[in-house]
Amino acid sequence: MLSEELKQELRKMIADAESSREKAVDVMLDIQEHHLWMSDEAMEEAAELLGMSPLELDELATFYDFIYRSPVGKYVIHVCDSAMCWLEGHQRVMDHISTSFNVPIGGTSPDGLFTLLPVCCIGYCDRAPAMVINRRVYGKLTPEKIDRILGRLARDNEFHPPE
Amino acid sequence: MPRLVIDDLEIEVPKGTKVIDAAERLGIMIPRFCYHEALGAVGACRMCAVKFIEGPLKGVQMSCMIDAQDGMVVSTTDQEAVDFRKRVIEWLMINHPHDCPVCDEGGQCLLQDETVSSGHGRRRYPGRKRTYRNQYLGPFIAHEMNRCIHCYRCSRYYQEFSGYRDLGPLQIGNRVYFGRFKEGRLESPFSGNLVDICPTGVYTDIPARFKVRRWDLQRAPSVCINCPLGCNTIGNSHYRAVMRVEARMNPYVNGYFLCDEGRFGFSYTNGGADHAQRPWNSRISGADVTVEAALAESASKIAEISAIYGPGAVVALGSTRNSLETQSMLSRLCRRKGWQGPVWFNDPAIYRKVRSGVERLDSGIAVSMREIEFADFVIVAGADLLNEAPMAAMAIRQASRKNATIIVVDPRPISLPFEFRHIPAAPAQIERCLGSLVKGSISKDELKGFDSSAKGFCKALPAKFEEKESGISISELSGQLMSAKRPVIVCGTGIVCESTPAFAADCAQLLRESGKKAGLFYILPGASSFSSALLSGPETKTFSEILPQIEEGLIKALIATESDPFWDFPDRERLDRALSMLDLLVVIDYLPTETVKRATVFHPSSTVFEMNSTFVNQEGRVQHAERVHVGGVPIWGAHPPRIIRNFVPGGDHQPAWELLWKISAETSMLESVLTLGELIAAEIPVFEAVGHSKYPITEGRIIPENSEGSFVKPKASPAKGQTAKGFNLLLTDTIFASREPSAYADTLASVFPEATLFMHSGDANGAGLSEGDMVSVELELGAIQLKLSVSQRMARGFLFLPRQRGIHWQKMKEFSAWIAPERIRKI
Repeated sequence: MLSEELKQELRKMIADAESSREKAVDVMLDIQEHHLWMSDEAMEEAAELLGMSPLELDELATFYDFIYRSPVGKYVIHVCDSAMCWLEGHQRVMDHISTSFNVPIGGTSPDGLFTLLPVCCIGYCDRAPAMVINRRVYGKLTPEKIDRILGRLARDNEFHPPE
Repeated sequence: MPRLVIDDLEIEVPKGTKVIDAAERLGIMIPRFCYHEALGAVGACRMCAVKFIEGPLKGVQMSCMIDAQDGMVVSTTDQEAVDFRKRVIEWLMINHPHDCPVCDEGGQCLLQDETVSSGHGRRRYPGRKRTYRNQYLGPFIAHEMNRCIHCYRCSRYYQEFSGYRDLGPLQIGNRVYFGRFKEGRLESPFSGNLVDICPTGVYTDIPARFKVRRWDLQRAPSVCINCPLGCNTIGNSHYRAVMRVEARMNPYVNGYFLCDEGRFGFSYTNGGADHAQRPWNSRISGADVTVEAALAESASKIAEISAIYGPGAVVALGSTRNSLETQSMLSRLCRRKGWQGPVWFNDPAIYRKVRSGVERLDSGIAVSMREIEFADFVIVAGADLLNEAPMAAMAIRQASRKNATIIVVDPRPISLPFEFRHIPAAPAQIERCLGSLVKGSISKDELKGFDSSAKGFCKALPAKFEEKESGISISELSGQLMSAKRPVIVCGTGIVCESTPAFAADCAQLLRESGKKAGLFYILPGASSFSSALLSGPETKTFSEILPQIEEGLIKALIATESDPFWDFPDRERLDRALSMLDLLVVIDYLPTETVKRATVFHPSSTVFEMNSTFVNQEGRVQHAERVHVGGVPIWGAHPPRIIRNFVPGGDHQPAWELLWKISAETSMLESVLTLGELIAAEIPVFEAVGHSKYPITEGRIIPENSEGSFVKPKASPAKGQTAKGFNLLLTDTIFASREPSAYADTLASVFPEATLFMHSGDANGAGLSEGDMVSVELELGAIQLKLSVSQRMARGFLFLPRQRGIHWQKMKEFSAWIAPERIRKI
């Protein structure tokens, strides 16, 4: 399922590493750039490239919040649920996004645009509550601010490309 | 050595002993989940907290993480430590279901015991419990993840200890899940140990599931007789059925673990799931008769034939699954009655290899599996360990984890759960390879110090061994061997040349002369090969050598004692013809073998679970298996009989030695003539040292003094290269399906490996064949069809055919065959 071109690129990345395993997470992130999430087939092919068993790779994949083992929407909203954000209204943020944009918590909106997930501390405690959308962080969230950010993404598909 | 006080008891322990182990030596079991002696300490579960009152550190600490030190005063009962543990267990129980009444682990559950003993009797947590979806893990292991307390024992055992990579921890935090990437049978042939090692009921034994409670089981220490290693087991039986087999800790043999063949290959003793597969009753010409009638028939017929044709017309066959008692009885009767035999082996080459190996084993050089774990250089010569003696592979895995160099010299496409250098040398080249490896490790100074025979042997070793295909440099490996201190040579007796076992012994001896603590470990073909070799002499014949006498009509009667020539003798047609010429075929057995079907008189014998018996493993270790139960047709599967009877259905079986005594027309009871201890000592001289009165013999090693001397000059190895075009077809063993008695266990039938022929990929290319093709191989007596597996990591010019149930390899006329290329074709 991975294109030969992508595989070639990954092979090179792995070959440059001191030990192939250390590139496991990078390989998965790279694949997600192209496929949004890690399907079982992608896991098996990536594991083969890395010389790991699919289980060994899955141990890593399921450990990390930013590697997706189920299909996700175009924009994955990670709302921080660590202590500070939780005190400052993590649940309100989740509920608001869920009701206003029709995204079930832990699921994807019917239009395939948004996926809503919690995430552990992202270090934005001074600007709690915070969220991450496709590698971009937003703090001091209010319902209005959320509507603005998500509305823009929904309306214009306007988004800062990942750095 | 540090001295410390634990709960007011003083103990001195070796340096490096953990406090938890020091306490165990005093009989104090500190609660634990993650800690296991075989896996080591990680300090993850916090259950083994104790209070340090005096000494280098104070307060509540984890006893598995702290080395015992002088002056420590430890309390396991201090209120602070007790409270700590109580809270840990309460927290571990938060997500644990309250399903003990329907859980198979109930009654043998560490979590249950420690919850109760910590005093956490009432749950305070009112919330929802975390739940998981379970996976299918194959026919042996049931998965119930909701019960998991995240101790990580399973993944540490499975990945670190046993070296397999398809079961491990997934997810994070409270959601951690131990499972596979996808559902499917666990790849490890050691997966059954998960059942023993899990402190609760996440992994349970499927064959025994939902059948019986631990406290209803009859349990006794037993020994596995499926391969020569003699791993220690516990037999568990209920309602006349063996329900499960567990590992029994023996530090010198199997440690805490077992392979799946040993653990799950027992249902033959129950006659399979329907209890109908075992011959339970005595029979004359196929008709059920009483025990007494069958014994009288055998005794009178044997006496009659002896009287008419002389006792030499009677042959006694034994086997390498006989107990030591049975083997001794066979030996005694043959001697005293003048019968021919006992015959232990079918293949004369295998017999000679076993015998030369046992003769060369010296008590100084023989190592146990435990010692292999501490080897720093292991050479496996001509042995496919995972298939021939699986737990030996596990022992080498432990050496490998301690950075030992592992070299495997074997023509087959060997796979093992650790890193090793594979030299796919042809059988005739194994000695060359081993010899040059050893020679290269002997320095000039060392050579000077040798006596003349060692010097002569060393000089005659080949200096060079060309190994082009594997790309391995023997001289580099020799360099590593030179600096090794505890090298071990593991030598097989299956596909190697006849001179190889003795040659391996000489190599080990030479390494010993050069100042190393070198060891030698043989892999023999059956559970009691060692004792059959002790009971053999130069005159001992194999079945192949007896067969012509049957065909000529010189032999009229055959007494097959737990011996089935059809199992491992080729040329089925010839065998059938020969056996039909006999006047009398007396068969004593517990398996439904082909020979049993042809018996004139059949006597059911007891399995290892049904009698007290002794077995000597391949390193000469004497081990005793206790009777687990009386045995008989199990009551499982139907309501117990409503008719009151004064006998046990299927309870007619007797130990084979007892049956032999009775059919030999001895009128007196055996006990009035001699004891079993005397019987054994009279037949096997080395047992005299044990004492005639000592029976059962429960421990110790019996290795005769090496009278052979040593250092047989190596013969010039045959030149490499093939003259005729074709393939040398050799038989090889495979796990689960190749060995009596486990291959008769219906629990294993679903995991028999697919019938596969192994061929070098270069040879396959030349023949226009490729991986996965179905091929037809024309043997002398007909064609067999099976799948082809090709590999680059094997010797060219060879074919390997598994001697397993379901493959009709008996269409071969000899124990090996020459196959011309046109006789293999794709279908």
